[in-house]
Amino acid sequence: MIYVENLKKEFKKVIKDPGLKGSIKALFHPKKEIITAVDDISFHVPKGEILGFIGPNGAGKSTVIKMLTGILTPTSGECRINGKIPQNDRQNYVKEIGVVFGQRTQLWWDLPLTETYSVLKEIYEVEESAFKKRMAFLNEVLELDDFIKSPVRTLSLGQRMRADIAASLLHSPKVLFLDEPTIGLDVVVKDNIRNAITKINAEENTTVILTTHDISDIELLCKRIVMIDKGKNVFDGDLHELKTKYGQMRELTFETDTRDVKNVLSYKEHFGFADDDFSIEADGSLVKIRFNSAVVPVSEMLSYTLQKISVKDMSVKEADIEEIIRRLYKQGV
Amino acid sequence: MKTVKRMLRMHRIFVAQELKRMMEYKGDFIVGIIGFLLGQFFNLLFLWIIFRQIPSLMGWSLEQLVFIYGFSLIPKGLDHLLFDNLWSIGHFTVNKGDFDKYLTRPINPLFYVMVEKFQIDAFGELIMGIALICISLPSLVIEWSVLKIVLILVTIPFATLIYTGIKIATAAIAFWTKRSGNITYMFYMVNDFSKYPIDIYNNFVKIVITYIIPFAFTAFYPACYILTGENPLFNVGITVVISVFIMCIGIIIWNKGITAYESAGS
Amino acid sequence: MRKKFKIYKPFINAGLQEATTYRANWIFFMLGNILGCFVSYFIWNAVFISSGGENLNGFTMPQMVVYIFLMFLTTSLISSGGTYDIGEEIRDGSIAMRMIKPISYNATFLFQEIGNKIMTICVLIIPMVIGVEICRTVFMGSVQFNIAGFLLYIVSCVFAYLINFFFNICFGFIAFIIKYLWGANMMKNCIVGFLSGSVIPLSFLPDILERIFLFLPFASLNYTPVMIYMGMYSGLELLFYMGLQLFWVMAFWGLSKLLWHIATKRLCVQGG
Repeated sequence: MIYVENLKKEFKKVIKDPGLKGSIKALFHPKKEIITAVDDISFHVPKGEILGFIGPNGAGKSTVIKMLTGILTPTSGECRINGKIPQNDRQNYVKEIGVVFGQRTQLWWDLPLTETYSVLKEIYEVEESAFKKRMAFLNEVLELDDFIKSPVRTLSLGQRMRADIAASLLHSPKVLFLDEPTIGLDVVVKDNIRNAITKINAEENTTVILTTHDISDIELLCKRIVMIDKGKNVFDGDLHELKTKYGQMRELTFETDTRDVKNVLSYKEHFGFADDDFSIEADGSLVKIRFNSAVVPVSEMLSYTLQKISVKDMSVKEADIEEIIRRLYKQGV
Repeated sequence: MKTVKRMLRMHRIFVAQELKRMMEYKGDFIVGIIGFLLGQFFNLLFLWIIFRQIPSLMGWSLEQLVFIYGFSLIPKGLDHLLFDNLWSIGHFTVNKGDFDKYLTRPINPLFYVMVEKFQIDAFGELIMGIALICISLPSLVIEWSVLKIVLILVTIPFATLIYTGIKIATAAIAFWTKRSGNITYMFYMVNDFSKYPIDIYNNFVKIVITYIIPFAFTAFYPACYILTGENPLFNVGITVVISVFIMCIGIIIWNKGITAYESAGS
Repeated sequence: MRKKFKIYKPFINAGLQEATTYRANWIFFMLGNILGCFVSYFIWNAVFISSGGENLNGFTMPQMVVYIFLMFLTTSLISSGGTYDIGEEIRDGSIAMRMIKPISYNATFLFQEIGNKIMTICVLIIPMVIGVEICRTVFMGSVQFNIAGFLLYIVSCVFAYLINFFFNICFGFIAFIIKYLWGANMMKNCIVGFLSGSVIPLSFLPDILERIFLFLPFASLNYTPVMIYMGMYSGLELLFYMGLQLFWVMAFWGLSKLLWHIATKRLCVQGG
């Protein structure tokens, strides 16, 4: 369905020294530098999959999405969607995709929402009967009825996002690109939008590519993720795999009467943990320890702890996906 | 043929959208029209004050000048009315990355940009242009013929496209430089040269506005043909040729520019 | 005073940064305006040829050339974008944010614009003045540059800039009434352009109009500095017109304060 091969994108950027002097210098001698925003990225997405496309700010996610949607032309490499290269026959290609940029709206700002849909109907040449059916379906999934007659500028952010997603789905695209669809929304609206995405994916087998900073989006929607950082592919696989591969962090929690646990136990010195592999928090009698179980097995941690002090309540948890991703972002791979 | 039909249909829909939008902000559009009317009014006041000092300007009478001036407003106003949205490309659309929208739609982006907005302010220029022509006509001696009227009707759309073509070419520069609104502005200032008889300029300016930035064909040359009936081949014929040529250049630059578009943000 | 300046220094810097980032765009804008000057030049040239006279309303052709280019220089030096900026803030409501900051809104804006202006001054004033002076020397046959006149011109420009700055801020409040700022701004520019003598020297107008216009604040914008530079005013007349400029600075400064006060109240009444 979607094939991305060795995709690369370079930008030219003017470098400016800070301060007054720098500004004046840049006026006469602008310095230019080439920045590689996307560097040799490849991945495949089969039909009907929801792919989570993640990475820290400035990793190049949006640049990849913009190349996949035909907005940007790659410096080298290629992407092929439904057998089409977006840049070659853009106008025909975009009929098959829907795009939502969370930070931007495609709706007609000053007019009632219905007006946007009737113009999009013309732009995408949707038949009248198909349009009616489609609107009924989108109404049901995204609950547009309450505000469809209001001017777009009066909509709340959540309403606007639902309206934007509906706008991108009007022409029944085969692929849907969502760039941060839940940014800035409250929990209820996020849920609403996630349900809608799941439903559309299930009913129409729409392939979805989703970028987000919200880990729950990924946990709830995507089986598979592609993670990039500094323009490079750092992980491609399903969530479960990510957990087993990088998810060696465990969280050990217990209650104890012993004072000054940190010094009494001194895990770090005892086991020789590196900084990234270990952290401890003590709040009164409650102690929380995060450690890398690949360095020290859970059983060893437990027996060492129990030997040294008396412990009341104790539990060991797998680190959640957010923790894993935080670690990955921080250190790279 | 099918595409032309579809284009016309799209155009109608966008104009309808714009008219609906205007209904939401009625007062503001009157302000815009008055603004453009005033702008032209003061320029004319300038001409009138000058003519209090002199009987004719290098052999041109006030009426003739007013006619040329009025005629120059028609193609300018038409371009302004229909294709004003091109200005915003160089001023902010590309710079802010908002051009993305045009690239994710299954219609030609240039066509989409051109017809998306409908600039009612232009009526300020069109009303003034027609008024000036009507005021000056009675005191001018012009020989009318069917051929002349046909030629004039042919010239006006082509003269309009000279403006549009230059706007397309200069707006497209923004795809490389992010902002080019003031390049368009610079070219528009050249256009001021064409509102007056070309005889008042030195040879250098004459060559520039005839062959290099051919704004003289948007107003002076066609108006000259109407006034004198001389040289239709040059005054009208070249207008058509130049107009087609400029449009082609504009479209070539535009198409190259789109592949260089860098969007914005990360 | 020194401490106060320190607060505003970043704004000067920001203005300059902004100006340099879009320098190419700015240069084209200036080139466009210079082309406009040439249109005027050719028209006046034709007018002088057609009239056959040496002197029209106190201007000879060389003086007219100097007038056109000085007008352009002065307009660039004293231009101010306050109308649009303040209007936009009124329209989208972000003006409320200004009230919770511990520094004066007008002052931040003023300093930002001064930063922006540094580029105009660096790039434009020296070549323009040299150009104008060479023209004058060639036309008149002797050096016309007069350091006292030039300094008075600079002072007069500062006054003119302040009038323009406060006037534009006052006009920006029109956003409470008209939403289409671009149209309103354009209307204003047309009227101001004419009344301030940028289109045609005021001495070309019928006598009575000239006298009225000279007292209006608009003549204090471009016309007064240019006339001073050209040495058209001297003695008491000079003192009078500069005094008038100072009066208008105070008047618009006061008016902007008053409007600001009213706007604040109005915003409070509306609940922000």
